[in-house]
Amino acid sequence: MAAGALHQWPPSGAGKTPTLGGGFHVNLGKESRAQTLQNGRRQIHHLGSQLQLNQHCLDTPFNFFKMAVSKHLTRGRKMAHVIAACLYLVCRTEGTPHMLLDLSDLLQVNVYVLGKTFLLLARELCINAPAIDPCLYIPRFAHLLEFGDKNHEVSMTALRLLQRMKRDWMHTGRRPSGLCGAALLVAARMHDFRRTVKEVVSVVKVCESTLRKRLTEFEDTPTSQLTIEEFMRIDLEEECDPPSYTAGQKKQRMKQLEQVLSKQLEEVEGEISSYQDEIEIELENSRPRAKGPLPGLKDGSTEDATSSAFGDEDPEDEELEAAASHLNKDFYQELLRGGSAMGDSEATGVPDETCRPPALDLGISDSIRECIASQGRDPKDTSGDGELDLSGIDDLEIDRVSHRVGAPGPRSQPQLRAEKEARIAKEKELGVYKEHKPKKSGKRREPILASTAGEAIEKMLEQKRISSKIDYSVLRGLDSKAEASPQTERTQAEASPQAERTQAETRPSSRKLARRRPPASRSRADPLSSVGKRLRPLVSTQLAKKAAMGEALLPNRPAPGAELVRPAAVLVESGPVSYHPEEEADEEDADEEDGEPCVSALQMLGGSDYGCDGDEDEAY
Amino acid sequence: MDADSDVALDILITNVVCVFRTRCHLNLRKIALEGANVIYKRDVGKVLMKLRKPRITATIWSSGKIICTGATSEEEAKFGARRLARSLQKLGFQVIFTDFKVVNVLAVCNMPFEIRLPEFTKNNRPHASYEPELHPAVCYRIKSLRATLQIFSTGSITVTGPNVKAVAAAVEQIYPFVFESRKEIL
Repeated sequence: MAAGALHQWPPSGAGKTPTLGGGFHVNLGKESRAQTLQNGRRQIHHLGSQLQLNQHCLDTPFNFFKMAVSKHLTRGRKMAHVIAACLYLVCRTEGTPHMLLDLSDLLQVNVYVLGKTFLLLARELCINAPAIDPCLYIPRFAHLLEFGDKNHEVSMTALRLLQRMKRDWMHTGRRPSGLCGAALLVAARMHDFRRTVKEVVSVVKVCESTLRKRLTEFEDTPTSQLTIEEFMRIDLEEECDPPSYTAGQKKQRMKQLEQVLSKQLEEVEGEISSYQDEIEIELENSRPRAKGPLPGLKDGSTEDATSSAFGDEDPEDEELEAAASHLNKDFYQELLRGGSAMGDSEATGVPDETCRPPALDLGISDSIRECIASQGRDPKDTSGDGELDLSGIDDLEIDRVSHRVGAPGPRSQPQLRAEKEARIAKEKELGVYKEHKPKKSGKRREPILASTAGEAIEKMLEQKRISSKIDYSVLRGLDSKAEASPQTERTQAEASPQAERTQAETRPSSRKLARRRPPASRSRADPLSSVGKRLRPLVSTQLAKKAAMGEALLPNRPAPGAELVRPAAVLVESGPVSYHPEEEADEEDADEEDGEPCVSALQMLGGSDYGCDGDEDEAY
Repeated sequence: MDADSDVALDILITNVVCVFRTRCHLNLRKIALEGANVIYKRDVGKVLMKLRKPRITATIWSSGKIICTGATSEEEAKFGARRLARSLQKLGFQVIFTDFKVVNVLAVCNMPFEIRLPEFTKNNRPHASYEPELHPAVCYRIKSLRATLQIFSTGSITVTGPNVKAVAAAVEQIYPFVFESRKEIL
């Protein structure tokens, strides 16, 4: 102690200066050790006074510290950590209500770092610290919560609660402070103190949700069902399972239940779908009857018209999707063929493909390239060295993975083009080349130039086959017949100036012409609903909204949109019209966009119409 | 696995970590640019590479040491390591597959009963340590097997050991102690 007092004065910096001189080297080891101990003692005192420990509790940690220093346990650790660990060790052995958290709070060090040091010290110094008893902390926290006169009673209640919690297996594996907090909160409420969760949390230093969890866990125990008086008197005999254990079991049970339910649900769904099918068949049968009053339509055309109008999904769209699915199927088959040749590698390869976005050309070209690459590559790369045992290693797969990831790097435009050409050539060679391009370009139609609307329709029919389901010859026959009839001629004569006007307006750009054509044809057909009316659903069958209108269903009723058309402003259509010339124009012009908007529009219509066709689609 | 116990215990191996050397310097930048499924951590100086089959993650250091994690058996770990070496060969490195070693195995095991942790800790003092302030589980070290067991009150035990055999042996060894301090079924 006296030596310590002597050495205490020179600060560490001053203590170090003599080491520069040679004469001190002999004593250096001892000196340094003494200094370390001195520092340790000082720091222990400092920390201990902050923790309000008594003198005995300050001497023991110093002894621990000496042991630690002599065992070289301080090396590689911070002095403060070791000292805190020593202090905590004493706290544990003496049973003082201090937590590791308090120490880490004082030192501003992570608890777990301190905990690590503490555990190491405890292990190395062979000190068996008794397990923490949460009851120790109750008086301390109770004091902090300021219960006044009733402090003792509240803490006794809290202790009782804690005992109960222990019996109910709530304390194993839980932070003692959280348990104390829960017990104190309940005890405070039992004694008519208003203590919020927040107040308790600020004292016991656990998260609010942790505290709530403890409370709910306590709520699940049978003890929580007792009244206050009962709780004070009765000790329930049985113990609960640990909350986490019961929670796990509950989860398992839920899973089982879910499985059973899902199985049942599937059965029910199957039943429902069978009913749905029946209903749909019935509906299909009843539809033509509803159409019965349709005038003057030939059988074939009626069916076609209904199918196109009722076919809820546009025929073209259908076709497109059919084509898409066909193509997809094709390339999967291709891939599978390649895969079976490659053995098990295909097992991982295919799911990769399915994960990809099903964008039509992208998917095909990519996968084909892959197939080709992997097929073409194998023989030259297999030269490995003797060290690596290659059994079971699939080079192809490795190649494929690396090739694929390597491929879509940043490349210049000409490179890309060259690559594409090469690819196409290869694809052609293999006979799997699908014409991507022409389909797109095919949609861009020649501008229709016609003097009359009828002519225009005819031309358009020639150019564009809207659906394979439509008997075009019948249609053409209809058209010509209509033209031949005097009534239609008159309407045509009425309409043609207007049509011509619109055409004159819009001739400069052929796109515009196409845009305005349908209104013209409609206005012509307006007075007498024969040709134009029947044609209209055909003209713009890819417009889903039209299908919704069900115009083909009731061709006699003039469409509200048609009535609103004024000759001056053909495009200005207002009122409750689902039909929109702009949209149609867009869709006619940019057919590649067809799929998306149509589907979404159909979805907007509601399930009944879309549903049946959607089912058909899925059956593909 | 547990011949001495009347209940069959399932030891589920969740992770196997293995190490091997390539005996050549690896250009991490090249791997990062040309390899598949890689993450280049330049600040740490390593590349993470993932394989799909077997599903492993490899940490590649430029010294040529590679650590593979994520396999679920020792065989799988070896297979994955070999595949990884092969894919590095394909990138043009003179890879030689040497010093393969399983370094760590992590397994989970569920006891059919709950465990009284304080009691268990008291009975197995020097080996077991229970700090609910730090971790909910009891940490039990078996020095001879170099295995560490985390024993939870619910009865689930996670075991880490240098190899599968050690892990199995550790579970076998711990079972009687755990059984001693199990929660009696009332």
